[in-house]
Amino acid sequence: MDAFEILKAAAADPYAYGASIQAKTGKPVVGNFCTYTPEELIYAAGGVPFRLFGTKEDISLADKHLQSYCCSLVRGGLEDALRGNLSFLAGAVFPHTCDSIQRLSDIWRLNAGFPFHIDVVLPVKLDTKSARTYMIDVLAGCKTDLETALGVQITPERLRHAITVYNDIRRTLGDIYRMRSADPSIISARDLYHVVKASMIMDRDELPPLLHTLRDELKAGVKAMPSNTGRRVILSGGICNHPDIYTVLEESGAQVIWDDLCTGTRYFEEQIEENIDPIEAISDRYITRMVCPAKHLDVTARGENLVHLAKAQKASGVIFLFLKFCDPHSFDYPYLKKFLDDAGVPNILLEVEAQLPSDAQLRTRFETFVDMLN
Amino acid sequence: MADQSTAKDPEKERRKIKSVSKMKEIMTTYYIEAKTARENGKKVAWITSGGPVEFLIAMDVIPVYPENHGAMVGASKMGVGLCEKAEEMGYSRDLCSYARSDIACSVTDGGPIGGLPRPDFLVCCNNICGTVLKWYEVTARFYHVPLFILDTPFIHARFSEASRKYVVQQTYEYIAFLEKQCGKKMDFERMNEVSRLAVHGLRLWQEVLDTTAHKPAPMTAFDAFFHLALIVTLRGTKIAVDYYQQLLAEMRQRIKDGISMVPNEKYRLLWDNLPVWYRTKWLSDKFADHQACLVADTYTSAWSGVMDLIDENNFIETGAIAYSSVYINVSLDIMFETLKKLIKKYDVDGLVMHSNRSCKPYSLGQYDLQQMVMRELKVPTLIIEADMVDERSFSESQIETRIDAFMETIKK
Amino acid sequence: MITAGIDIGSITAKAAVLEDGRILGAKVLFTGYNSRQAGQAVLDELMAEIGITREKINAIIATGYGRNSVELADKAITEITCHAAGAHFIDPSVRFIIDIGGQDSKVIRIDENGRVVDFAMNDKCAAGTGRFLEVMARALEVDLDGFGDLSLKGGAAAKISSICTVFAESEVISLISKGETRENIIAGIHESVASRVAALAKRVGVTEPVMMTGGVAKNIGAVRALEIKLETVIRVSPHAQVNGALGAAVLAGGINR
Repeated sequence: MDAFEILKAAAADPYAYGASIQAKTGKPVVGNFCTYTPEELIYAAGGVPFRLFGTKEDISLADKHLQSYCCSLVRGGLEDALRGNLSFLAGAVFPHTCDSIQRLSDIWRLNAGFPFHIDVVLPVKLDTKSARTYMIDVLAGCKTDLETALGVQITPERLRHAITVYNDIRRTLGDIYRMRSADPSIISARDLYHVVKASMIMDRDELPPLLHTLRDELKAGVKAMPSNTGRRVILSGGICNHPDIYTVLEESGAQVIWDDLCTGTRYFEEQIEENIDPIEAISDRYITRMVCPAKHLDVTARGENLVHLAKAQKASGVIFLFLKFCDPHSFDYPYLKKFLDDAGVPNILLEVEAQLPSDAQLRTRFETFVDMLN
Repeated sequence: MADQSTAKDPEKERRKIKSVSKMKEIMTTYYIEAKTARENGKKVAWITSGGPVEFLIAMDVIPVYPENHGAMVGASKMGVGLCEKAEEMGYSRDLCSYARSDIACSVTDGGPIGGLPRPDFLVCCNNICGTVLKWYEVTARFYHVPLFILDTPFIHARFSEASRKYVVQQTYEYIAFLEKQCGKKMDFERMNEVSRLAVHGLRLWQEVLDTTAHKPAPMTAFDAFFHLALIVTLRGTKIAVDYYQQLLAEMRQRIKDGISMVPNEKYRLLWDNLPVWYRTKWLSDKFADHQACLVADTYTSAWSGVMDLIDENNFIETGAIAYSSVYINVSLDIMFETLKKLIKKYDVDGLVMHSNRSCKPYSLGQYDLQQMVMRELKVPTLIIEADMVDERSFSESQIETRIDAFMETIKK
Repeated sequence: MITAGIDIGSITAKAAVLEDGRILGAKVLFTGYNSRQAGQAVLDELMAEIGITREKINAIIATGYGRNSVELADKAITEITCHAAGAHFIDPSVRFIIDIGGQDSKVIRIDENGRVVDFAMNDKCAAGTGRFLEVMARALEVDLDGFGDLSLKGGAAAKISSICTVFAESEVISLISKGETRENIIAGIHESVASRVAALAKRVGVTEPVMMTGGVAKNIGAVRALEIKLETVIRVSPHAQVNGALGAAVLAGGINR
């Protein structure tokens, strides 16, 4: 199989991949729901950070623990845990983000029955010195917790190595994104989605060479496809676990050329400084990187960033893709929309749950949006 | 017939809490002062209900509580119109109804008191939820005013030393922020005095709440929801202390005189979560019809439940810990410990949980708490699906049936 | 030049034929289970009625949910773009369109050329759609055709606060048992639909004049309730139900074959 096929296979069936890597390597697979998970620490402890995306199956077991006004990521994640679909996990790491994830952590710890559970109560504001100090303390605490849970010692060497590996993964993903933005015909948005998803779950020892090969192939034009003339749009929101979005959009005459998603650029943007104290360096990446709406930077930081992205990526429009019941994103929506409207960037909002709206409705929205852009 | 109705009235009058009028008077004066602050050369700060208001009082800043205002919106049944207005502005219907109605009031000067006075700055403490962070960001953009965030890390297991250092450090940053906004130095002697009054007020409030351990209870949780306003809005003032002294005296007198709020109280219940503000009377009558009294709740004691953590002589450092430890900033297991204590202390026959669409940190996890309560304490529980302000999420017939069925199981 | 538009909705199929800016005719049929055939059938019947043959038609555009299954069409365009074109054709001054159909409702802001500037659709919930009115009419055992007129006879609209169709239905039933008049309840139902749609409209930003299209535009109660909510006079397209097909026929004029 070539590099892309391997990545795609992992992304297409993450749980089968997770189970196989656990069986094959014996490495502890560590579940998480968030880009604020200090994956470098998990990797340095010999683990495989494994991003969870919720379930596509019907929710039944999670209904005993969570009300219907809770987002499909939280309900779906719990459903998979309770059904035993995640039995390959050694445990989970829960960074503090929104109110729902915060309660999910409790419910998960009390009901899911994994060998270990680590909460990482990060600061919610990332723009003060004391918050930075606190974040360093919390990450150091997380390191200790991981050492205890996995019975290993995270030596400075291992941590430095982890940072190098992660910088490489993130840089390569960034390269691929930039190459595609410059020439969208080199790889489809749907395929790129699979690459990012795979990067969030695969064994990070296995991943880098695959990403390198893919990048070099794309550079050489090996994976070229018919050039796509669709309008350039940016996808903004939390998670996107719907490959069909990319396809339907493409068939409607537009293509995603960049994103502002937790399962996209937020995962790989910004590098970690390699020449200072590793824990401080990991903290600093979170502080430098654009925040997710559950964290506070400046009151207009995200709006300015989105307008800047649209300009820099020469996007004709922005599609907001939110999970229904996601408070942090929904609170930001009116102001982000206003920033885009004022900058003359057309935008639409699509609220989804575990299942997309009907294909017909989705196409109606996308096609009309493309008509608006033309 | 005529005889009957006149015979009924004095009985009702006797049950009424006399301090209510004083309370209304204080709140009216407070809102007038807040609304005329600018004319009187005073600064106004908007602050979250769980935020450390004592520092504002010490700096002579008038604190305004959008959440208290949200409760007023709900109680005056103006929630739906205001929430709809916010939805028109693009705010999702699934967001907190306090936030929605308050954001709408800022734009329209609507609501029961024609909008809140414009803030000079904002103080947001996230010990109650992550929603306030986003809500205050909206407010900061709308009014173009500075925002101070007091970040109180959530407690899953225990309050860490790192968290303590962080919150204490922020308390000093808070003081510096206030000094900058007010253009004057903090008077620490005055701060000590305010701290003492705050702690005194909290103690008295707790004592008021304690009186309902008496059978029959001299007041209900519905009364506590109303009388709570001062411990939120005027904590750290002599007004609050004096008022709660008066209220406490009245409650003790009621116990002495054998006056209960629910006639023939037979069943005692504990309420969880915020009130359903637009239906407090309906709910209280509904339970009273079953001779059931909601004697206590997890909500109104949130302000005094952590009082023991405060050393009034070292408020800056100990207050920080107390503020971080409030009821909904802790994990479900710690919440369960509190629930256990309340169930025991008030000797209740059942637990009524309001699953409140607006409040995820309070409501998500209730199903697990319900299981723990039923399993470990064998106390029957009822879950009511509703919302604190948005009446569109209240289905009367459905809730009525649930309450009737629940009371049938308790009476068995 | 003669052009045709075919609009395949979830309940009805509509067709309209235009000749040089003049409406030759329009037709509505029930879609049935086969939307593929419905497009052909409604156009065939219309052509027979106005006495033209397929060869005379220069271009056909299909729209609506079934637009991609109409084989005889030259092109498929969404009903939102078509409603914009249709409303603009009927009244070029119109800047905002409210289209309440059986399954969904849409609000569309358009510019002076009839192009879509912004739009929104309801979520998958039935509140604020024709379906909601249908369910409520059934609960009240009232014929849907007279539903709107009855609502105007209501004195004070009864309050229906629930947003969920299922809850609202039980609310209506409890209002009946409390002895609320039928007219007041119906007025309340229309108010509830109007407030849902008005919220959607205000989110997009209402620009006057406003036109209403779609099947529910025939319901005077819904129109009045919306006028009150939006504080504006609403023009009802004389071709409300076939507005999408009409717009499709207009846009077909731009096709070069």
